[in-house]
Amino acid sequence: MTDGLRATGLHKSFGDVAALRGIDLEVPRGQLSGFLGPNGAGKTTTMRGILGLVAMDAGKVTWEGHPIGEDDRRHIGYMPQERGLYPRMKVHEHIAYMGRLAGLDRTTASRRASEWAERVGLSDRGDDLIQELSTGNQQRVQLAVALVHEPVLMILDEPFAGLDPIAVATLSEVMAEQVARNVSVVFSSHQLELVQDLAEQVTIVAAGETQATGTVSELRSRSPNRLLEIQWNGTIPDWSPPDSEPREAPAGVSRFVVPAATDAGALVASAAAAGRVSAISFEPPGLDEVFLELVSQ
Amino acid sequence: MSWRLVREVAWREIVTRARTKAFRLITGILVVVSIAVPIITALLPDGGDDLRDVTIGLVDVDQATEEQISAFAAGSLNVTFNDLTGSTVEQVDQALSDGEIDLALEPGPTLVWNRATDFEIANIVYSVLQQQEVLVKGRALGLDQTAIAELLTPAVLQERFADEADESDELVATVASIGLMAAFIIPQVFGQLALLSVVEEKSTRVIEVLLNHIRPRTLLLGKVIGIGVLAVVQLVVVVGGMIAALALTNAIDVPAAIWRFVPIILVSILGGLAIYNTLFALLGSLISRQEDASQVMLPIFIPIMAGLFVGQAAIIGNAETTLMKALTLFPLTAPMLLPVRVARDAIAPWEVGLSLALLVLGVWLLIRIAGRVYEFTLLHTGSPVSWSQLARLSRGAALD
Repeated sequence: MTDGLRATGLHKSFGDVAALRGIDLEVPRGQLSGFLGPNGAGKTTTMRGILGLVAMDAGKVTWEGHPIGEDDRRHIGYMPQERGLYPRMKVHEHIAYMGRLAGLDRTTASRRASEWAERVGLSDRGDDLIQELSTGNQQRVQLAVALVHEPVLMILDEPFAGLDPIAVATLSEVMAEQVARNVSVVFSSHQLELVQDLAEQVTIVAAGETQATGTVSELRSRSPNRLLEIQWNGTIPDWSPPDSEPREAPAGVSRFVVPAATDAGALVASAAAAGRVSAISFEPPGLDEVFLELVSQ
Repeated sequence: MSWRLVREVAWREIVTRARTKAFRLITGILVVVSIAVPIITALLPDGGDDLRDVTIGLVDVDQATEEQISAFAAGSLNVTFNDLTGSTVEQVDQALSDGEIDLALEPGPTLVWNRATDFEIANIVYSVLQQQEVLVKGRALGLDQTAIAELLTPAVLQERFADEADESDELVATVASIGLMAAFIIPQVFGQLALLSVVEEKSTRVIEVLLNHIRPRTLLLGKVIGIGVLAVVQLVVVVGGMIAALALTNAIDVPAAIWRFVPIILVSILGGLAIYNTLFALLGSLISRQEDASQVMLPIFIPIMAGLFVGQAAIIGNAETTLMKALTLFPLTAPMLLPVRVARDAIAPWEVGLSLALLVLGVWLLIRIAGRVYEFTLLHTGSPVSWSQLARLSRGAALD
């Protein structure tokens, strides 16, 4: 696996406000990375720093091992959080225009614009003005704009926000296709289930600092907690493990977050003594739990 | 600087601006007006001889006198007569005060006015009576008709003016006014389009995507050129329509000499577009919302209004004052004042050259400064960038 994108020790202050206080982010070639953090954690500033839109106070950004430059940035596909489109341009013309700015000749840009409009489901809207499209369809155009020049790195800031399930599926497919093409893709999202399903690697940031990086299973296993789920046969007994926190669960099921060091065998025995257990699981918590643990530290 | 990208940005500006309803409507109205004026002028009736009407009441005056007055007044007054034979003094006075007649000619001969003397008609009547007197006295002296006619031959009086107001004065005023108004209106109208274009890119956040592929200075230059070309296209369409209509109708006699002033007017408009489009675009980068536009635009109207007022004064007054000369060299007022001084022949060729050179230098410097400021302000959102921050950015310092 080649280097891809590597941002290390990014610092940025706006006046007295320290937006980034040491962000590290790695996105190897051909990998889909989730970039998670609560609002104000510094995700967008980090992305803008990588794109060169915001000058960093400290830290460095490299692409394929060398400091990222203007030429590298021309090969980035970027979807900003707040959609960046000309309201009075037509769909096809807009995609083609951005392709030409990225270096494509007129014929190629026009052909690719048609192809991408079709791929994102807007082939019949090519002559419509952007301002006539719904928010979801504008987001599809934004995706086409980010892809028209066949980037080697995609930076997607909240790409799933406001999309319907069909559009989410389309976007997920497109992202997977790009990864298969050896494109590095990093995206931020608050939809943790989606991230868990899509991302091979996740970086979690909070308060301008990187809190954790790794694959989803690595992050889950690193958690100091475990999720205990017991399915009872009959009435749920008045039982809870020591040092645990209950979690919402469906009927007939109890869920608890317990310390990772808890003796699982003893828990099973204790539960079996309290009631009739039909199934029991003891595993690392989901990404949502891990996220909450990390950002609340 | 990539000229291919400059061309792409310029072309987008032209296409998207030309597509807006507002632009098409305004261009359409201007074309219709420019074509309609010569056509309507040609179709309108002449409007008569435009001579002033004067009604003379004649009290016991013979037919010959009436005919002579008519003959004398021909070409200068439209005289009609009201026969008041047998009227009393009171009746004549009443006719004057009622406005039925403007004056009365009574035996004596006496001219009767209501209140004030109209010297033009008085001179005509006097000349007629004088001629009759010469005729009577000449006959009494035994002169024949030829000798009397010789006596009545009017003296030839020629005129000479130290400061002659001829057709060329009218031409100079027309050229100067056209140049001044074109360089006053066109750059500020299209400059505001440049400002709105920048604000749109900031408010829609499309700027974040653009800057991934294009440098701020390239984007700025493309915008300035694109909107400038759009202005020139509109001007050519409107003026072309007017020239075609004038050629077809022959309604207005356009002096051929006017064409020699076209280059300086065109250069002034282009210079004005270049400098004001850049300046307006720069100011647009300081704000994030259209609502703040008037706030940042205010200072730009100081040189624009100064150029207009000084230019208007120079059209009719002295075009070679120190202020006029200084403002002709100042790039923000030069586009308005150059056509005025050239039309009035009140500028040396070297001054024209220097003024244009300073204008080009001003545009170049402004694009450099604007490009530098642009890099920092394009992604600035929220409250407008203050003037002190702008000054720091111009010097190359960064914002906090």
